[in-house]
Amino acid sequence: MERFIDPCCEQCTHTKNTPCKDFVECCVSGPICHTDQACAAKRKAIIDKVAINEKFVIC
Amino acid sequence: MYEKHLMICGATGCLSSNSAKVQQALEEELARRGMKEKYRLVMGGCPGFCEVGPIIVIYPDEVFYCRLKPEDMVELVEKHLVEGEVVERLLYTGPDVDVPARFYDTIPFYKKQVFNVLHNSGIIDPENIDQYIMRGGYRAFSRALNLEPLAVCDEVKRAGLRGRGGAGFPTGLKWEFTNKSAGAKKYVVCNADEGDPGAFMDRSILEGDPHAILEGMLICGRAIGADEGYIYCRAEYPLAIKRLKIAINQAEEYGLLGENILGYGFNFKLNIKEGAGAFVCGEETALLASIEGKRGMPRPRPPFPAQAGLFGKPTTINNVETFANIPLILKEGGAEEYAKIGTEGSKGTKVFALAGKIRNTGLCEVPMGITVREIIFDVGGGIKGGRDFKAVQAGGPSGGCIPTEQLDLPIDYDSLTKAGAIMGSGGLVVMDDRTCMVDLARYFLSFTQKESCGKCIPCREGTKRMLEILQRITEGKGAPADLEKLDSLAFSIKDSALCGLGQTCPNPVLSTIRYFRHEYEEHINEKFCRAGSCKALFNYYIDPETCIGCRLCVKVCPVGAISGERKEPHVIDQSLCTRCGSCVEKCRQNSFLITRVGREADVSN
Repeated sequence: MERFIDPCCEQCTHTKNTPCKDFVECCVSGPICHTDQACAAKRKAIIDKVAINEKFVIC
Repeated sequence: MYEKHLMICGATGCLSSNSAKVQQALEEELARRGMKEKYRLVMGGCPGFCEVGPIIVIYPDEVFYCRLKPEDMVELVEKHLVEGEVVERLLYTGPDVDVPARFYDTIPFYKKQVFNVLHNSGIIDPENIDQYIMRGGYRAFSRALNLEPLAVCDEVKRAGLRGRGGAGFPTGLKWEFTNKSAGAKKYVVCNADEGDPGAFMDRSILEGDPHAILEGMLICGRAIGADEGYIYCRAEYPLAIKRLKIAINQAEEYGLLGENILGYGFNFKLNIKEGAGAFVCGEETALLASIEGKRGMPRPRPPFPAQAGLFGKPTTINNVETFANIPLILKEGGAEEYAKIGTEGSKGTKVFALAGKIRNTGLCEVPMGITVREIIFDVGGGIKGGRDFKAVQAGGPSGGCIPTEQLDLPIDYDSLTKAGAIMGSGGLVVMDDRTCMVDLARYFLSFTQKESCGKCIPCREGTKRMLEILQRITEGKGAPADLEKLDSLAFSIKDSALCGLGQTCPNPVLSTIRYFRHEYEEHINEKFCRAGSCKALFNYYIDPETCIGCRLCVKVCPVGAISGERKEPHVIDQSLCTRCGSCVEKCRQNSFLITRVGREADVSN
């Protein structure tokens, strides 16, 4: 998962053709539709790469 | 993971000061040392302080480096990145700080600023949608999708947002009008045709945070029931257009634009229309005509665009900064938070572009209600070269001047209108004591006259007649009756012109007559321009008491009008002098005095 649009695992189905209502919130705070530490870590890795300080992410 | 993030200003202002070469030099130095993987370089949005560009801000250390040159990069890498020391000589210095200032919070330019609209500028990579989402982006839109369209309009009304394009019409009300207009097809239009001389607020927002505009337009689309939008952006903003195109592609890929967005059954398509740069196309009906492929000319209202706008369909048109405010309002609790900033009648913040004879040129975001004095002296750092403040032109060619006596005027829509100026889109052009207010009025009127589309007679002919009178006055051919004629023409044009451009273009003339009538009278009756601007109405004279005979003026005079021995006072041959002012700019002794034509040494003036 390099970008938020990439699926974290097979359970993520969001694409422009199969949209998920929770997509935006899921990017930063996900996964929302399932529980998986590895999937959460993938999102955190995307954030950690570019967050310039601890105030960067706004939830 | 990167050790540090190096945010380089990649906006047009810093790019013109060579920030791309600074970035290249930094990249090369990092590559030479094999350190490229450890540091993230971003050509980001504008931190606002154009005067001291190019700028690099290093995070998480929070160090603000400015006035950078490519050759500084070796030292910056060696000292800051390798040795962990701050490079003091590259920090901000100026007469307003005792010691070099390290970060935003210690630089006076930033102390009174409140970053709302500009909260992402210089912080995120504007070409990366993920970073916009990390900063809370598209959450307000997601929330709006869960609200009824009229509830979205209500939130915008409750926040008290007024249009940032100039007229200050309540945005939520405008949206409600379009929502209630009958029709299956409706449009959202973003006016990015920023045309005031000296104004670059919208350009900076577009370049630094393009997704904020997209999100604002999406929320508007949801509120009014539109499924299509246009961004009308002038072609002179290539970087803004490039970043908008990238943002639109990303939003489409992420399913935030297109069909059935986020599964709510809401569709929205966004187009960019590049404008050819006509000032009149900033007027909403002319802009709509231009999008339709017609000549950019205004038409009478009603019907208003909310009733019959683009292609005859109900349309909401707002400017860039207005749309950039929307995500702040529609986030959870946003309307209440938003309404806490500003004054009773003008809520939120306003972005201003500071230009002219001010020390800190650049972009600032301040709360509504701040005084003119605070903007000019606290944020802007006062007048360049220690000269005296004379006036500030607010609202560009449609606005008016605010003189010294009004320095404590609060900046809000109603106070500015009462003072004879307008908020406009936010351009502030500052004048010092060497500015001739008659010539300034002539300049702005010549701008609007050239930009008049010619459709209505009051604007087409009236501005031409006014300009002829002003031209006469600045050439020393003015007559006492001219002031009355100017006044009468100005009010006739204001009352009868077809569009906002015509109705407001006499403002610079009226406000300069109101506050600087004595200068007009001096030009007309005494044939004297004490500011030394109208070439027919003054002579330069070298003060023999202060001239040290350094010969700098002799070297720059293009017509050889200045003579004198080294270390002896120089003199000007008035028959040769063209009053170009090159000598005045060079003189370090301030020995050049302005005298009446025909008088050789009237130093009392």
